[in-house]
Amino acid sequence: MLARIARELYWLGRNLARAEFTARAVEAVFQSELHGAFDSPSVTFGAGGLLAMLGAFDDTQPTGTEALAQLTLDAARPGSMLASVERARDGASTVRDVISAEMWEAINITALGLRGGGQPGWAAASGPYLSSQYVKERTALIWGVAGRSMLRDEAKCFLDAGGLIEVSDMVLRMLRVALPGPDSPRADGYAPILLKAVGGLHAYLRAVTSPPNAHPVARFLLFERAYPDSVAACVDSLHAAFTAADSGPRNSTPVLRVSRLAADLDFQRRALPDGAELTSICERTQQELARIDQDVAERYFAGAAAPGAWN
Amino acid sequence: MTAPAAASATAGYQPDARFMDELFEPDGTPRPVARALVDALEHLGPDGLVEAGRRRDAIFVAQAITFETKGDGGSTHERPFPLDLVPRILSADEWVAIKRGLAQRIRALNHFVDDVYHGREIIREGIVPWLLVASCPHFERAVHDIHSPGGVYTHVAGCDLVRDRDGTWRVLEDNVRVPSGVSYVLENRAAMARLVPELFARYPVRPVDHYPQLLLRALRAMAPSAASEATVVVWTPGPANPAYFEHAFLARQMGVELVEASDLVVRDEMLYLRTTRGLERAHTVYRRLDDGFIDPLSFRPDSLLGVPGLIRAYRAGNVAIANAPGTGVADDKAIYRFVPDMIRFYLSEEPILHNVETYLLSDPEVLEYVLARLDTLVVKPTGESGGRGVLIGPNAEEAEIEHMRGVLRSDPGRWIAQDLVSLSTVPTIDGDGSLHPRHVDLRPFAVFGERIDIVPGGLTRVALQEGSLIVNSSQGGGSKDTWVLADGEDSEPQVSPLAEPTAQELPDLPDLRFGQWTDQQQQQQQSKQQSGQASD
Repeated sequence: MLARIARELYWLGRNLARAEFTARAVEAVFQSELHGAFDSPSVTFGAGGLLAMLGAFDDTQPTGTEALAQLTLDAARPGSMLASVERARDGASTVRDVISAEMWEAINITALGLRGGGQPGWAAASGPYLSSQYVKERTALIWGVAGRSMLRDEAKCFLDAGGLIEVSDMVLRMLRVALPGPDSPRADGYAPILLKAVGGLHAYLRAVTSPPNAHPVARFLLFERAYPDSVAACVDSLHAAFTAADSGPRNSTPVLRVSRLAADLDFQRRALPDGAELTSICERTQQELARIDQDVAERYFAGAAAPGAWN
Repeated sequence: MTAPAAASATAGYQPDARFMDELFEPDGTPRPVARALVDALEHLGPDGLVEAGRRRDAIFVAQAITFETKGDGGSTHERPFPLDLVPRILSADEWVAIKRGLAQRIRALNHFVDDVYHGREIIREGIVPWLLVASCPHFERAVHDIHSPGGVYTHVAGCDLVRDRDGTWRVLEDNVRVPSGVSYVLENRAAMARLVPELFARYPVRPVDHYPQLLLRALRAMAPSAASEATVVVWTPGPANPAYFEHAFLARQMGVELVEASDLVVRDEMLYLRTTRGLERAHTVYRRLDDGFIDPLSFRPDSLLGVPGLIRAYRAGNVAIANAPGTGVADDKAIYRFVPDMIRFYLSEEPILHNVETYLLSDPEVLEYVLARLDTLVVKPTGESGGRGVLIGPNAEEAEIEHMRGVLRSDPGRWIAQDLVSLSTVPTIDGDGSLHPRHVDLRPFAVFGERIDIVPGGLTRVALQEGSLIVNSSQGGGSKDTWVLADGEDSEPQVSPLAEPTAQELPDLPDLRFGQWTDQQQQQQQSKQQSGQASD
């Protein structure tokens, strides 16, 4: 397939995943910001943290809930849900021949709906709940349509790969911003917010018996292969996607790098004792994902970098 | 819109001088703690409140958070759980007093359960009459002399508190069997934060959503020793139970299985779950059905909801049950009168929270006293719950009172009488978005594991009918979100943008182009790769 098409699909996947992640995180952070502190020491992940991880942090802008509102429907902010959806729509419009009509329609309607028919802020009247809910529902629908209607060929692989790398990158960024240092009194504080921000609280409660404190939550988000949005699961799926898409996977740099990362994560999961410090692994893994991103651009997209505004 | 909306949400609000209003002074100005809230309500306006109410109903129906109500003629229908959008506010100081009082009371009730089924010290001391204990419908002979792990029997407790005209908090009722409603505390908060986040803006509200984790920790702590992590289950009578939503909610929030009787089996005094991988042992059962139904061998033989042999497994110490069977003796309406004495006897402390004055009618003198004043008192049947059979003297017709006199004379032991408490009021939204005072009570939820934890606030139930004092949701009551304010605002820690990565590097990748691998298999790959590149 054409390198340009592959690149657009890859970034379409990234933008959709970014919009969905932002929707969940904004809603979760907003809810927790409304409340005071827990009795026990707990991990905080507030508006400042979310902005920092989305790269939208600067000294001039407002903080707190006002800043969160900008992450929903402010098209001028590259980190907002609306901006991600608009980028996805722009990308999708250039590959309409590859994706099905149904899928194009699903993406297009999402963008139009989120714009609110020329009435900005239709959903912002009472916090981000309505717009977050809308984006979560619509992205689920888009991925569902993609799964049902797209041929399982290279195109689907690049779409999936974009989504996977974005999800794992977001999870890692969040952990790096939110995990307290090893000497902090909150080092193993109560941390359900990190699970709520990725929509994984219920999965965690089913899979892990210890309470949602920082250490087990970070391990879960990094290593739990049974949870689809964990870094390890994403990297595994990424490996499968690149292997399927690559003409010569045995000697492809991105494939090799992803498979080494998967092995490293598996090794760390077994080797690290409970309660071990995980931020350096998050950092290293995130760096490695950035290199994979470069490798992908070089090998598959003829060296073309990210389209449009991206951080 | 059907009803024309009032111009202002709070302008015409007039508290009833006979009761204490928690948000407004008697002259109609907001209390200091409520000023920011009243401003925010004003800003939303009646239209905004009506609109938020419509979205609330849509959300609750979509999530199936509904309550079954009994209409006239015994027919039942589902309606969205009636959450009133004006919250109730408790200051940090008020809450500390309530929390300490409740912890004290629950400790005493737990001592009482332990005592009644073992040493019976309090009876030998002559503080509680044995006849009263033995005639109590929830006194269970089958659990005599069974020790619960850790000495805790009342793991989950919910006491109903009311506020008198002068602002004093009083305990109206204890509930240490299967108190329900905690799921609505969590769902109410989640819904409020979605529907009217503006109201939270200037209040540091203590969170409540860690309740399932507190409960799970307590349930794990009481489990008999297990080789691996203890298996905890929530036991529901089934989907037909009015509180089934709560059972499923708690199981989901704790990440444990929701079981029915057919999933459980006792073999060799051990409790097992029937799973796809055969029988697996269960260590702790959080049961949400009454004592009478849990084991047909020990209690009601006609119970189809029970697990035969459960009490034998419990007696053998192989399974923990929360709350322990037999705790109903402590929250009996006739025993209630003795709780302050229990606190003095077991804890050597003075009660922090007061009772409502209660009359036991088995004493003929007291009976005569009560019969003469029936139009000023409240009469309750001891064996009922949920507000059924209650007669409120001042609101009753003369004929009803006369009928009740006959009932009381014929069977005084089944009834108690209490002074009427002037329940406090909180502004509540009407259909047109205007506010009116309505009576409220408060049910905080406590979890007794290794210590007593009480989630800040609790379920505020509100009587939606004007002047009504019955707040039970099965009788048309609604609820409110209850805010406990934090002492000071916790400032968010300063977050800096991501630092440049400095972590140690993974080893270099092998150079695929020129091949530095030495292994034979890799050399083969290398030659393949070179041929592949030649054809590119």
